[in-house]
Amino acid sequence: MSAFSDWVRRWWPGVIPLAVLWVAAAWTGTGPVEQQLTARTGAVLKESVLDKTQIEVSGRDVRLSADAFSEQGRRAAVDQVASVPGVRLVRDETQLIAEVFPFNWSVERDVVHVTLSGNAPLPAIKARLLEAARNAANGAEVVDQMALARGAPVRFDAAALLLIDQVSKLKEGRLSLAGTKVELTGLAREIGGREAISAALKNLPEGYTVEKNDLRAPPYLFQINKDPVASTLVLSGYVPDNNAHAAIVNAITRKFVGEKVEDKLKASAGAPQGFMAAAMLALKGLSRLSTGTLTIQDRNVKLTGDALYPAASEQIGEELASKLPQGWKQQAELSVKPIAAPVNATICQQLLGGLLGKGTIRFETGKAVIDPDSVGLLDRLVEVVLRCSTSQIEITGHTDSNGDAESNLALSNRRAQSVADYLIKAGVPSERITAIGFGSGRPIAPNDTEEGKAQNRRIEFLVK
Amino acid sequence: MSFLVAFNWGWIAGAAALGFATGWVSPISRVRSQTRVNLRWTIAVVIALVALSLSRQLPGRPGYWLDLGLVMFGAYLVAACVGSWLRYVLLVRPGMTRSDET
Repeated sequence: MSAFSDWVRRWWPGVIPLAVLWVAAAWTGTGPVEQQLTARTGAVLKESVLDKTQIEVSGRDVRLSADAFSEQGRRAAVDQVASVPGVRLVRDETQLIAEVFPFNWSVERDVVHVTLSGNAPLPAIKARLLEAARNAANGAEVVDQMALARGAPVRFDAAALLLIDQVSKLKEGRLSLAGTKVELTGLAREIGGREAISAALKNLPEGYTVEKNDLRAPPYLFQINKDPVASTLVLSGYVPDNNAHAAIVNAITRKFVGEKVEDKLKASAGAPQGFMAAAMLALKGLSRLSTGTLTIQDRNVKLTGDALYPAASEQIGEELASKLPQGWKQQAELSVKPIAAPVNATICQQLLGGLLGKGTIRFETGKAVIDPDSVGLLDRLVEVVLRCSTSQIEITGHTDSNGDAESNLALSNRRAQSVADYLIKAGVPSERITAIGFGSGRPIAPNDTEEGKAQNRRIEFLVK
Repeated sequence: MSFLVAFNWGWIAGAAALGFATGWVSPISRVRSQTRVNLRWTIAVVIALVALSLSRQLPGRPGYWLDLGLVMFGAYLVAACVGSWLRYVLLVRPGMTRSDET
């Protein structure tokens, strides 16, 4: 046995070739070992939620550098790397991303860009927001200026996605989140876009509130152009809804005399408060013009054109100024149509008859108060009467057979007088005008139908 | 350790073969046995290196190379012992027994 121990102590001659083997093993094996450990480490971190992950393997030691989004996630990632078979040491250079308060985020739109900026809580959420922005951008370039940070409020992603959905409704502007407070500034792309965005934001997650809404809408435009040559009214722009549309078209039918209507109106939300009242008032003014344009832009009413006689110009301007709803502004740029050449009694009668053939002077039921819808027709009658300045005008009132003859006679008399007063107020000398009522005594149609009665309720002008 | 062995099994096997050969030929080798003092120094150095390896104080590639070297050295030593022991058992001891009997 002593021989054996003597032999064992002769182990050292093989050390030099052993050293050569060791160097060769280290020389050829170190790179592959590091590559394999890098691959294994990367694989185990695939499911981890980390940002800016860097894995560096030296020998069997791993340096892990990454931004984590929670302490739990950070520790789990380090433990996962440490458990990789073959890893000897883990140099932990992970850190938690910064926590910010308030958690700010915004989406901004200009002509060619949709820019996402501020903070996002997780890479996956950031990617979802970018994807949603690309879908909503309609071809605009999406710019990502978001940085990852902790401290996002609950359901941040739902709120941010809802805001991104509204970007397509903006021409330019910024929708932002400061914690759970939403702020909106900018200009909606279309009429009604501001209202659509406000309605959509009612679906914000619980706890989120709209703190500031400075969204502007494009001007709410409503326009009517009256062309006397083509005898056409061209309607363009927007009205609040289909009912308003029908009401305006109906009012035009009553107020204007014989013009064709070219209707290009569209229904859209976003009309200023008091729109219909202002539109009806302005329509009345336009109906009294020979030629003109009515433009309603937001709360501004602009009426331009030619009145048929000087007094009408003043009356239209005054009425517009005094009766517009509160907060509305008016601009009346009215001139007076030059008086046309005088005509003799025969032509005067033809002209008056022609006008009364196109429209009827209406009164309030059972009264002698002229319906405001008839002032357009009356102004045209005034214009004709002013042209035949040497003729006497007899205004006759007629009723249908309803009621007793005496009261009908009195009513027709008062109605004829009301029309005469209108003409006198318009500038026709009172000595040229006489007003007579005939009650139901001179019907022009049978009184047994409503149509016949309507024809019999009339004012006639007789030129002498 | 298992990863180290699995990844470098060829080199470790080579070190073991080298050790076995060294142990096997040691009876007929002309080299002198290591003195007791040198043996103690060798053991001290190896213990120090093993301690350094276990404490993981040597980082990165040097740490890996140290581990690899110690594993290969261990395989070499064990195989050298096995080589010497096998020669002793198979060739020397039977001969001694026969001479003792005669």
